[in-house]
Amino acid sequence: MDTRDAHRHNVLTSGHRACSGCGEAMAARMVTDLIGPEAIYVNATGCLQVFTTHNQQSAWQAPWIHSVFANAAAVASGVEAALRARGENTPVIVQAGDGGTFDIGLQCLSGMIERGHDVLFVCYDNEAYMNTGVQRSSSTPHAVRTTTTPPGRVSEGKHQLKKDLISIVAAHRMPYAATATVAYFPDLKAKVEKAMSIKGPRFLHVLSPCPLGWDHDAGLSVTVARLAVETGLFPLIEMEYGAVSGVVRLARQRPVEEYLKLQGRFKHLFTGKGGAEEVRHLQALADTNIRRYGLLDADTEWDTNEASQAQRHGRGSYAAPGKEGAS
Amino acid sequence: MSRLAVEPGSTVAYHSGDWRNQRPLYRDKWPPCGQTCPAEEDIQAWLALASDRQWQAAWRTLTERNPLPAVMGRVCYHPCERSCNRGHLDTAVNIHGVERYLGDLALKQGWQHQRISDQQQTQRVAVVGAGPAGLSCAFQLARRGYPVTIFDAQSSPGGTLSSGIPEYRLPKAVLRGEIDAILALGIELKLDTRIGIDISAETLCDEFAAVFLAVGALQPRIYPDDGYGGHSVMSGVEFLRRINAGEGLSLPKQVAVIGGGNTAIDAARCARRLGAEVTLVCSQDPHGSHGGHPGAEMPASLDEVVQAEAEGVSLLYRTGVRRLVRSGAHLSGVETARVDQIHDRQGRFNPLLFEGTEEFLPAGLAIFAIGQEVDWQGLEALIEPQAPGVFIGGDAAGQPRFAATAVGSGYQAAMSIIAFLTGTPSQYQHHDKAEVTFRDIKPEYYPKQARHEGVVKASPSLDFDERVAGFDTDDALAEASRCLSCGVCFECDNCWHFCPDAAVIKKDGGYAVDYDYCKGCGICAAECPCGHIDMEREAD
Amino acid sequence: MRQLLEGSRAVAEAVRLCRPQVIAAYPITPQTHIIEHLAQFVADGELSARLINAESEFGAASVVLGAVAGGTRAFTASASQGLLLMTEVLYNIAGLRLPLVMVCANRAVGAPINIFSDHQDSMSVRDAGWVQLYVESNQEAVDTIIQAYRIAEACELPVMVCMDGFFLTHTFEPVAIPEQAAVDEFLPPFQFARALDPARPMTLGGGSEPDNYLEYRAGHHQAMEQAGEVVAAMDTEFSGQFGRGGYGGLVEPYCLEGAETVMVTLGSTMGAVRDVVDRLRADGMAVGALRLRCFRPFPAQVITQQLASAARIVVLEKAISAGAGGIVAGELRAALYQAGMSAPVDGVIGGLGGRDLTPAVIEAIFRRAAAGNASAACRFADLNADAVPSTQES
Repeated sequence: MDTRDAHRHNVLTSGHRACSGCGEAMAARMVTDLIGPEAIYVNATGCLQVFTTHNQQSAWQAPWIHSVFANAAAVASGVEAALRARGENTPVIVQAGDGGTFDIGLQCLSGMIERGHDVLFVCYDNEAYMNTGVQRSSSTPHAVRTTTTPPGRVSEGKHQLKKDLISIVAAHRMPYAATATVAYFPDLKAKVEKAMSIKGPRFLHVLSPCPLGWDHDAGLSVTVARLAVETGLFPLIEMEYGAVSGVVRLARQRPVEEYLKLQGRFKHLFTGKGGAEEVRHLQALADTNIRRYGLLDADTEWDTNEASQAQRHGRGSYAAPGKEGAS
Repeated sequence: MSRLAVEPGSTVAYHSGDWRNQRPLYRDKWPPCGQTCPAEEDIQAWLALASDRQWQAAWRTLTERNPLPAVMGRVCYHPCERSCNRGHLDTAVNIHGVERYLGDLALKQGWQHQRISDQQQTQRVAVVGAGPAGLSCAFQLARRGYPVTIFDAQSSPGGTLSSGIPEYRLPKAVLRGEIDAILALGIELKLDTRIGIDISAETLCDEFAAVFLAVGALQPRIYPDDGYGGHSVMSGVEFLRRINAGEGLSLPKQVAVIGGGNTAIDAARCARRLGAEVTLVCSQDPHGSHGGHPGAEMPASLDEVVQAEAEGVSLLYRTGVRRLVRSGAHLSGVETARVDQIHDRQGRFNPLLFEGTEEFLPAGLAIFAIGQEVDWQGLEALIEPQAPGVFIGGDAAGQPRFAATAVGSGYQAAMSIIAFLTGTPSQYQHHDKAEVTFRDIKPEYYPKQARHEGVVKASPSLDFDERVAGFDTDDALAEASRCLSCGVCFECDNCWHFCPDAAVIKKDGGYAVDYDYCKGCGICAAECPCGHIDMEREAD
Repeated sequence: MRQLLEGSRAVAEAVRLCRPQVIAAYPITPQTHIIEHLAQFVADGELSARLINAESEFGAASVVLGAVAGGTRAFTASASQGLLLMTEVLYNIAGLRLPLVMVCANRAVGAPINIFSDHQDSMSVRDAGWVQLYVESNQEAVDTIIQAYRIAEACELPVMVCMDGFFLTHTFEPVAIPEQAAVDEFLPPFQFARALDPARPMTLGGGSEPDNYLEYRAGHHQAMEQAGEVVAAMDTEFSGQFGRGGYGGLVEPYCLEGAETVMVTLGSTMGAVRDVVDRLRADGMAVGALRLRCFRPFPAQVITQQLASAARIVVLEKAISAGAGGIVAGELRAALYQAGMSAPVDGVIGGLGGRDLTPAVIEAIFRRAAAGNASAACRFADLNADAVPSTQES
């Protein structure tokens, strides 16, 4: 086991083959270190599974299983049933990409939630089937360039809108569902901790930028995630038993162009007349989110400023090896 | 382990660091506050300690370069705040407020300065002038074990800090307290001693291995004197010296103060406190009318001007005095005229007055605060030519005339003196780290927070009590915490959280990059709030 | 003591006795009664297990995969469309070498949709890497399920117990249900060395590359071949302990002494075949039969031994590989050829989609084979040739 860092377990440790700057690796590293190694991790097929278990090596320092693309939620249901049948409370965590959650994995996810399994399902959403070469998923936002929704003479990229999965999940009237992203670690931390304190099916939707598929500089992964939130395109919300129970207020609203212009997957929107209309459409979608969730004026726990404030000596972080719980 | 399972953590055998073509480096930078501080204080460092409630450690770090924080927190023109990067975010950190808090706390707690070296040196050093430059130099020498004697012609130490700055800006008790703490290092103080009169320059050179001349610039520039005597016309320096010495001056009903610098403002505000109607006649334009261009605008600090106006001082800008107006020996006023140009073709301060714009300003006393020169009387043997072992600093050295600059020059002189005495290179530590501008700061990580100010007395009362109150502990803590820590790591954990490859290792008091695994993505550098991390191309 | 029980009920009792702690299933005819009985056991506290009504068979198989990986004994059952839907997971369970037992209530596969029995479903997944056992009777189903857990846990391979839908699942037969204590003695508590456990973390199901995948598959194949011995041993041990059964282990011969024509078949069809053999032998025909109990691993050696003295062989099977012919016939011919045997093999497909294989039909097959006509590569028993849709039809 790798013990280089005395202040956290590194449940997902170094040497994995993720692309430089991978937002999913970052998100998974954060989430699993917040949860710790005393849990069972069930992984769907996808980038995370591939880059962490390549060539007979494993970056995981906790019990971990991968089965097939669509069934992580069902496998986790079985693991949970087994553990609870033996009277063990070990947490069971699913990790899946947007493919394994929004599309091929949706049926098993729905079953897991409907049956009330005590499992936390974490979706790392990089908004396309990245592992297989950037093909679209139902999570891919409107007007994005992917290899199966390429812009061309008669197309501006993906026609459909991004599937509102959090609402679908929440409509199961389940205990806790939340969106989060890597740019706001304190918010992500609070949501993981809240999810871990609840029994029953729980769901976290973590936006995870992909420098390769989104076509941005590797060093900008956190910046891009921040802009996704600050434009209103990716609202940070919590839903409990079907109703919105919390939002992170936006300290300011940034125009969507600031977000789009950093990413090559939107480049085609800035080279022709048709693109301008799509940019306006995306702005309208962002504005709709803001109105719908009251992102600019909600009376909330904290806003994007407070959720990203850098503090002296950190905010206390992960469960450290040899210590109970997060410091 | 069964071949049907894989060993956990076994990817550490794969050094993904081979992938990168650029690498992150943790590098301390020198923030703008420290760059602009004339005393070269490590402001970021002591603000960091203060934000941790390590008050004494903060005071010690501060007094490494400036042994007069309670004084400077009150009187320094704080260029650090003008350059503070926080000013681009919301408002500059109230550095002087925290400095004052630390100085006041040290006085209250009776903290003692510590020696740097226990070794006792034998070579004695003479410091002429017990002002900020002299005190600073003596402090640095005494900490390092040198026996120092300070000579001052006045009856109390402090130089211009004592004789020039009024009590309502700098209480005497505060000044005396910090001076005593400096002297407690074993420095000998000889007051009422003028070189050339009470002790000759030659004796000085015989008895001391080195001499530091920090005599200030207390010779007022010549003003119109028509021979009728000093009780109706005097220099600002003289006026303030007498007030600060506690002389009970009785003033006529109306007083005119001529000049645009801090001496003029101080004189005007003191005259108000002694009951006079005061008009300040200044040849420059008001603050801000030339975009801050020095020379064209009134040089006195804006805070002082604002407070002077609140206290009822009338200000006449772009106006000069052509002559004194008397009836007999009695001064009835001054003749003013509008200023055409302030500087002549050679750029010297030489106001030209417009004919036909003369006006009569009634005044029973005219105070001229139009500049000061150095009084070298008695010291000629030491400076013509400047002998080896003789060093000059402070206002006497012709540099910008600020107390903080004097303190800085005292430190530099001490280092030069030690180098001279030991025959070794100067130990003067000039910080050569890279600068950090606001472009290196990530404002997303610093939510706006209002600046705390010392409470100013609501209605200006015309007494000599301190006008501006100092911080309480909460305010000092809050303000110190507003420091962005430009270029210096404050352990926010961002790089540690964000590295996708767990290649940032947390250690006690910082972080280290594990270059075996770092892929060089640059996220750590991009998200470091304070610009501490540089990305460099990897050498092939 | 024997009770008259519906086959599904008997299966449920057997499963209960094996103490699985997780059961997951999705209903599909003709498996439904099995899981309904199990649900009632759980509801009445007679079986201490989590019964998970999954959202599909794919989900059900995944749940039991997780349960076994989580270290408990588990069970599922399916058939037909459902079995095919879980195919990806069946491969996965086998590749992960997870010890699991399931029942396949053999049923035809659409289109056309048909709820009645044949072996197309379990034959379609014969390459998934599961041990596949075909039972003839409800008693054998009960006994084989109990043996199956021992086999699975000893070999770290999943075992599929195949029983004919309706013919067995919905038929009442006298069945002896063992006592719990006896089953506990035969089947100790489940221990799995690779269970997911924070105390001994491991990574299961990681990626594989060209330089190591071949070895995994070779290892799996070898384990399957060795499992044949375990299948035989467990049958012997079971009959020794319980005083019944002994289903021949891998194959069950019937009247092979002196048989010139031997019919090879699987499952409940064997019951009618026995009756026909008896009648024909009474008529003086030298016939016999061999039931394949274990189809995977394919017991080539035992089969060739048992058929060593047969002059002609006819395979009667209830599945077809369209465009190639009979599956069992093909594998049998390969085994004979490999052993240097040259007895002709008649490949007969019958009973598809629940079509009854009556004694008359079976007799006709025997007579035709024994008559020495040229053996057919593949022909259909009881076919109504006029009703076969042709591709020229409009």
